[in-house]
Order: sequence, then C-alpha cells, then structure tokens
Amino acid sequence: MSPIVFLTIALIGTTLALLVRPWERVATSIGLAGLAAAFVAAVAMDPSARLEVGGSILASTEYLRLFLVLGTFSGLILGIIGLSIGSRRDGPAVTLGTLGAAGLALAIPDARIAVLAITAGGMLGVLLTITPVGARVGAGAGIRHLRAVVVAGAMAIAATAWIGRDLGELVAQPVVFGLAYLAFALAVAIRFGTIPFHTLSARLTDAVPETGLPVLLAWGPASLAIVGLAWVDSSIAPLSIDVGAERAIVVGIAIASIVLATFAAWLQDDLEHVVGYSIVGDAGVVMLAFAALDPAAWTPGRTWILAFVVTRSAFAAWAAVVRGTFRTGRLSNLHGWAIRSPILAASLVTVIVASIGLPGFAAFGARSELVDMALDGPLQVLVLIATLAPITYYGRLLALGIRPLAVTSAPLVDWRPHRMAVDRTDLAGSARRLVAANRTIGLTLLGLVLSMVALLTSIGAFGGPQASAGLPPEQAIPGETTP
Amino acid sequence: MNPALAAVAFAILAGAVAAVFVRDARLAVLSLAVVMMTAPFLADPIAAASGLAARVLAAVLATYLLWIVVRDGAFQTGGSRLGWPADSLVATAAAVVGFAAHGLGAPTDGPAFASAVGFGLAALSIAPLLTGRDVLRVGIGLTLLLQGAFLVRVGLGGTPSTLEGLVTAGAIAVLGGAIAVLAMAARSDGTAGFELADELPARRRRQTDLRPDAGPADGRSEPSPERP
Repeated sequence: MSPIVFLTIALIGTTLALLVRPWERVATSIGLAGLAAAFVAAVAMDPSARLEVGGSILASTEYLRLFLVLGTFSGLILGIIGLSIGSRRDGPAVTLGTLGAAGLALAIPDARIAVLAITAGGMLGVLLTITPVGARVGAGAGIRHLRAVVVAGAMAIAATAWIGRDLGELVAQPVVFGLAYLAFALAVAIRFGTIPFHTLSARLTDAVPETGLPVLLAWGPASLAIVGLAWVDSSIAPLSIDVGAERAIVVGIAIASIVLATFAAWLQDDLEHVVGYSIVGDAGVVMLAFAALDPAAWTPGRTWILAFVVTRSAFAAWAAVVRGTFRTGRLSNLHGWAIRSPILAASLVTVIVASIGLPGFAAFGARSELVDMALDGPLQVLVLIATLAPITYYGRLLALGIRPLAVTSAPLVDWRPHRMAVDRTDLAGSARRLVAANRTIGLTLLGLVLSMVALLTSIGAFGGPQASAGLPPEQAIPGETTP
Repeated sequence: MNPALAAVAFAILAGAVAAVFVRDARLAVLSLAVVMMTAPFLADPIAAASGLAARVLAAVLATYLLWIVVRDGAFQTGGSRLGWPADSLVATAAAVVGFAAHGLGAPTDGPAFASAVGFGLAALSIAPLLTGRDVLRVGIGLTLLLQGAFLVRVGLGGTPSTLEGLVTAGAIAVLGGAIAVLAMAARSDGTAGFELADELPARRRRQTDLRPDAGPADGRSEPSPERP
C-alpha cells in the first residue's frame, strides 16, 4: 500500500475531527477511528513504494513504516486511556495530524519541504493547551508552544535552504556550514524542549494532559530530528569542515539535558513533570547524535529515537493510568500504589527495563554508541553513567509504591477483573456495565501492553535496528538497506 | 531589476509594517492578509498555478479565521511602541541587508527581492515575538517570521515546487487557525481581551474537557462548566 493512503487518512481524519470539535465525543471518536485506520494503513504500507506528487518524490522506507506503526499504535492506546480518564477532545486529532505530518516529512527526500511539514504538524499541538477553565493561561502556554515551533521551523527552513544549493563558489564555507548546522541542531533542541529551552517543556507539562505529552514533546520533535540527522549526514558531515565551536554548543546542550533533566525529574512531586523531564533527558541523547557529526551515528541515532519515543509514550500512559486509578498524580499521595495495583507495578518495571535497557538491547547499544562517537575521555564515561541515572527517579517511584500505606495515601482501588451476568433483554446495558466494572483493569492492561511494546522496541524487535540502518528516502534504492 | 517584483516587495513590507504598528486588531489582521496573499507572488518565475492557488486560498482561510476573532472590534492588540517610522526604518534596513547579502557570494536560484523582503519580515517580527503581551501580537510576529523564512528560502532556492507550495499552504492555514483558536480562548476568559496571563501559576491543574465528570480528586481539579 502506498504512503499516500496513510497521508490521506491522516489528513481527512484530522480535518473531520477538528471540524466537529464542538461535539467532543464525536470529535474524539473520529480521531480514534482515524488513528485505527492509520495504524492499518501503516501496517500495510509497502516500504519500497515510490510515487511522484507535485513535482517531488514520495518514497516510503521500512523505517517510515515502523515509525508510523508504532506511532499510531501508541497514539491509539494513549487516546483510549485519555478518553477514559479525562483528556482533551482534540487529543486523537492532534496525534493523527502530527503523525501525518511526520509521515509526509519522512517520505519526502527534500529536507526543505520536510521541515515545513513538521512545522505545520507541530502547530496543531496548541489545541491541547486550550483549557475549559482558565483559558487565558492555557492560551499563554499555547502561544509559547507555537512560538517555539515557528522559531524552530524558521531556523530549520533557513538552514536547509542555505545548504540546498550550489555553494562551490562560497568563500566563507566553514562559517556558513557551521551556522547552518547549529541552526538545525538548535531547532531540534527547541522542539524537544531540551535544556536550556526547558521552560517550554515545563510549561507544556503544566497545561497538557499526560496522554498528550508524548505527541508534543517526543513524536513531533523526533520526526524533525530524523530529518535533521539525514540532512546533517548528507550536507555537513561528509565535508570534514571544522565546526568545533558549534559542535561544542550541541554537546553542551546534550550533556546538560541528560544530567539536569534527570535531576529535575527526580525532584518533581507530580507524575506529569517526571514524565516531561524524562523526555527531555532522553532527548539529550538524540542531541548527541547531532553532536557526533558522523554518518556512522545515523543508525544508532534512529534506533534510539524509535525506542525513546515508544518508551516515553508507555511511561506517559502509565502515569495517566495511575492518575485515573488513584485520582491523583502527586507522589506524596501515592504511598503504596504498587501494593494496591500489582499490574501497574509490573507495567512500571517493564517501562524501566525498556528505558534503561540491558546490555544486548538495541536501544542500550545505540545509546552507548552515540556517547562513544560524540565524546572522548573521562567525559565519555561520566555521560555514559549519567544516561543510566534515570534509575534514580524510577527507584523513587517504586519505593513510594511499596511504602506502608497511610490514611491519606493511595485509596483501595478496584484493579481485579469482574465477571457479570449477561441480561439477555438488555445486551447493550450489560456491555456498558461490564465495561464500567472493568474500567480500571482495562486501562491498566492497556498501559501494560504499551509498556511491553516499548520493551520489545528497546530490545530491537519489529526489525527496528535493520530499519534504522536503511537509507533516507533521497538515497534509498528499493531492496537495499545498507548505508 | 524587475519592477513587478519590486512592487510586490513594497506591498509586502508595507503590509508587514502596518500589521506590526496598528492597535486596531481588525486593521492588523487585514494588513497581515496583504502580506500572506502577496508573498507567493514574490518569485521568479511565479510558481505553478496549483501551488499558487493553494497559497492564496490558505492565506484567505487564515485571514478568515483570524477575522472571526477580531471582527467585532471589541479588543485591541498591543501595536508598536516605536511608531511606524521606526518600524519602517527597521524593515528597510533589514531589507537592504538582505538584498546586498543575497546568497553571500554563492549563486542563487531566486530573486534578490525575496531575500530582501524575507530579511525585512524577520526583522519586523522580532519586537512582537520578544515583547508581545497579547496573543494576537505574538501571532502576528510568528506569521511574519514564517513568511520571512519562506521568502528567504525562495530567494536562495528559487520557485517552490507544487508539493512545496501545498505544504506551505498547509502551514499557513494551520498557523492562522492556531492563532485564532488561542486568541479566541484568551478573549473568552475575562475582560482583558487578547492579553496573556501575567504568569502561569505553579503546578497548574490540566483541565479536561473530554470527560468533565471524571476529573481526578487530587485538589487540583475543577469541573469544566464551559467549553473553550
């Protein structure tokens, strides 16, 4: 199946869901149906399909297919959890639109058009900041997000336009190439909300539901990072130009994000901020792929991105289910949560293993390779240890979960499955009662499924490392997967 | 020098100065419409009809969405604190720099006027983006910055392909819609018009509108009595 089918579903689904947004149930249902259809279209996508549209080539790759399959699957689960515990009516539509834009961007060989598509998709995220009460504050968070997306987009557009022509006669090449490289890397950093641009991610975490955070802070920016890595590999890295100063800035951003975001996540007192800063910390590893300035960073960079976005989606889903189950996201009110709900505990442990990884896991190896390529000497060892530091905030969450229960701590929750007698005169009512009785266990299992998918992605299942080693669309030849 | 391109360049910069300067939100939106609708014509050769039509239609759609928010004239936008002569000089100076630095010595595929106007729009967008205190003014700055980036890209890389025109049109329409939604949200909350809140309260509760009866009971939740 051609990628155009996926793109059409995404475009129509997003547009329809936004047109009917006054009717929140209808809008959400259309968004979820669109995500389900997009998932099917992504699974059926032919990874070697090519077609010409408007004077440009659209080419699908195995990596594009896998990115969209995992993205739509994660979005679907997050959307269902959001529908059940409370979210924004535009959540599924924004997810669908963002993934549609990402799909278009990753299928277009021309980076100049790809960054435009990603910028357009990123703008949709402002809809998740609109709140029913205190809309002015939500609008403030939204306009700041929009500013970050547009500024990042403008920087990336300028950088790709600058390099996307014959520069053989240019005199000051190192300066020009260095500035273009820095502009694109900063654009990616801004979109991820890495340190020092973390005010954006912190504000978004204040305003956006847990289930909306991955699409705004991970999936959308990740597509820009993938396009950026391809662009750097084809435009900057092969030239062997000295861009030491610019590279040092990117390295600084990466290290600061890995170290400080982990510390910030450990300090936080509510789950959403832990999720937000955990995304920032992992995005620091993506910045290391930019700092490596080596075509060899292409494969581990994309492998890490794939594992990172799915794992953080699973972590956000877990946080959302915790909030839905215990009616709180404050850590101080969650003493004994793991004792109350063992399946949630299993889900978090799975997320931890997927996130930190073990030797032999694809994501673990990719992260180590990126640190090796980007850094030297003692700093390499220190940063490698820092990438394992998320175990501190995970450990804190687990420790809270097994602490003795207090009166104000996690209430007794109904986490076991229930069987109910079917009333044959009222099948619809029976189904509704069955769903209501099993709501908590259903959500918990959904979170567990997503965390299992994250674990498999981190291990390297679904052909992730092989797909990551494939060429970008501008160089891909059907059947060839070696860079 | 192509006089038609010069005229288009002048119209875009004039529209941008007006959009940044005026306080009447309706005039600001109409001025912005001039920028968005004339910018696609600043290319040599002009883009294919389908791409061009998409850009113009996207500009019309973005303008209409913004017009819905401001048409009653109830609220103003911040406007320029420098005055239009200062804004004009900023735009002119940046345009001269962009014209003179076109391609920085390397061959380009687009007209120098596009680079000039792109630089001018980017310079004009700085003040609204950095000092804007209302949604509409920041949104005007964002639109000018994005249009400026498009024009710099046209100046360096030449006339966009049809697909690029379509994607650009999508970005313009989405940006207009996003600004309109945010502006409407701001003006629907209290009487301060498009003003931004002074600061975000720490640990603000994320409201839900999808399932207002199921808000978490952690002391940070409120039911949602109204739609955004």
